[in-house]
This record gives sequence, C-alpha cells and structure tokens, in this order.
Amino acid sequence: MSTSRLIRPCTAVWLLLVILTGVTYLVGQAGLSGMAVVAFVLITTLFKSQMVVDHFMGLKRARPFWRGLLFGYLLIVCGMIGVAYYVGLTH
Amino acid sequence: MDTPLHDDTGALPGDFAIWIFIFAELLVFGVFFLAYAFARANNVELFNESQLQLDRISGAANTLVLITSSYFVVRAVAAIRDDDSRRCVHWLAAAIGMGSVFLVIKMFEFADKFSAGISLSTNTFFMFYLSLTFFHFMHVILGMVILAAVLFKARSGGYSAASHIGVETGASYWHMVDLVWLILFPLVYVIH
Repeated sequence: MSTSRLIRPCTAVWLLLVILTGVTYLVGQAGLSGMAVVAFVLITTLFKSQMVVDHFMGLKRARPFWRGLLFGYLLIVCGMIGVAYYVGLTH
Repeated sequence: MDTPLHDDTGALPGDFAIWIFIFAELLVFGVFFLAYAFARANNVELFNESQLQLDRISGAANTLVLITSSYFVVRAVAAIRDDDSRRCVHWLAAAIGMGSVFLVIKMFEFADKFSAGISLSTNTFFMFYLSLTFFHFMHVILGMVILAAVLFKARSGGYSAASHIGVETGASYWHMVDLVWLILFPLVYVIH
C-alpha cells in the first residue's frame, strides 16, 4: 500500500473539516440564531468531531466499543448543549 | 483507505495509559461545557451581549490552526509507519509550529480582553470564557511538550515502522486537544 494512497483520504478529511469550520463561522457572522440554527451547528460539530475520532485518532479501526464510547460522549455533550439552549429559549 | 494510527488488532492507538488520561480530560471538559450551557440558559441576554465582545475571527482561525496541526500529526504517524523518521520529525515540527500559532493568537485575544478591563469577575460569561479557554490553552502547551518529546526521540532514531507506540500516544493526546476545541468554538463563539 503506497503512502500517497494512505494520505489522500486524510487530506480530504482535513479539507472537509476546514470547510465545515468556515460554515460554522459564517453562521455566527450572519447572526443567525434559533433552535434550528443551533441544531444545525451542533450536528455539524458532532460530525466534525466524529471525523477527527475516526480518521485522525484512527478509531475507525479500533474495537467498536471504543469508537462507540467516544461517539456516545460527543452525542451526550452536543445533545445536552442543545437541551440547554432550548431551556434558555423557554425561560 | 484511512491513514491508520495503529495495527488492525482493534486496540486503541498508542499507550493505553494515555487513553485513561484522555477519557478523564474529556469528562472534565464535558462537565465544563455543560456547566457553561446551563449557566447560559439562565442568563441568555447577558451571555449573548457578552459574546458580541469576542473576536470570532480569532476563534475560527484557531480552529483551522488546530485542525491543520492534527492533520500534520496524522502525516507524522503515517511517515513513521513508512519507517521515515526524518519525515516524521518534519511533520511533528510543523504540528508544534501550528500549536505555537494557536498560542500566539490566543494570547493576543487574552491581551485584548484584559486591556478592555475584562476579567474573571466581570460577569458569568467571561468567567466561563476565560477559565474554559485558559484551561484549554494549558492543554495545548502540554500537548506541544508531549509532541516535542516525541520529536526529539524520533530525531534520534528512537522510532521505526515496527515500533512507534510513542508517536501514536503523542498523536492521540494532540487529537484530543483538537477535539475539545471543535466543541468549544461553536459553544462559546457561535451559538447565541
């Protein structure tokens, strides 16, 4: 297996992470708010984080338990941030 | 194919001990994030107004810097798997360089806030903002120290394709530092 073949997908992941960071930044700059916007930002964050876990940390090749543990962590943290935002809206 | 950080045994990459540390760190940051989120729920206007004083460009730039440094670390691991210590050292140096860029940007941000008279006691938002970002700042420094130790060992030929668990260990910690910032940035700088 050549190095170039190994590296190329990670470069794609890096590019995707850069683009999604730009999107998140633009959402902030546009002053967008509301539950739908926050849900979008949090799902984007969850996706980006899982990309780092899978492709940078390399957990895609680890036992499903470890990958699931980190995905569960990210899901709970992002989900609870969403819940807290909703609580703030209803206050 | 993905760039593997480890073999196909299904084990976590690097030394298992670092993963105990990583999970503990993630737990602490997770609690910190949720404390911020629920404190915000009770002070929405204060948090929204205070957030306007943050430099979102710096936050986004630092996100790109950390993502890129993580990518460089992935390349360093790939290099040592190819038994190329020299290339591994170069990628690690690049990753540490990006870490330095993060610290410089963050220090400018801190200096800007302090010169505006903002401190931990300004309000609840800034208490969280300063403590969360400073806590993360310290982790970046620790990550850079770990990567530097790996770099020096790699430079002296201490790693090879057959034996590079230290590189994977340092890489795993650095990715954790990146991972935490990926959540911190939207939470503190974007969501309002």
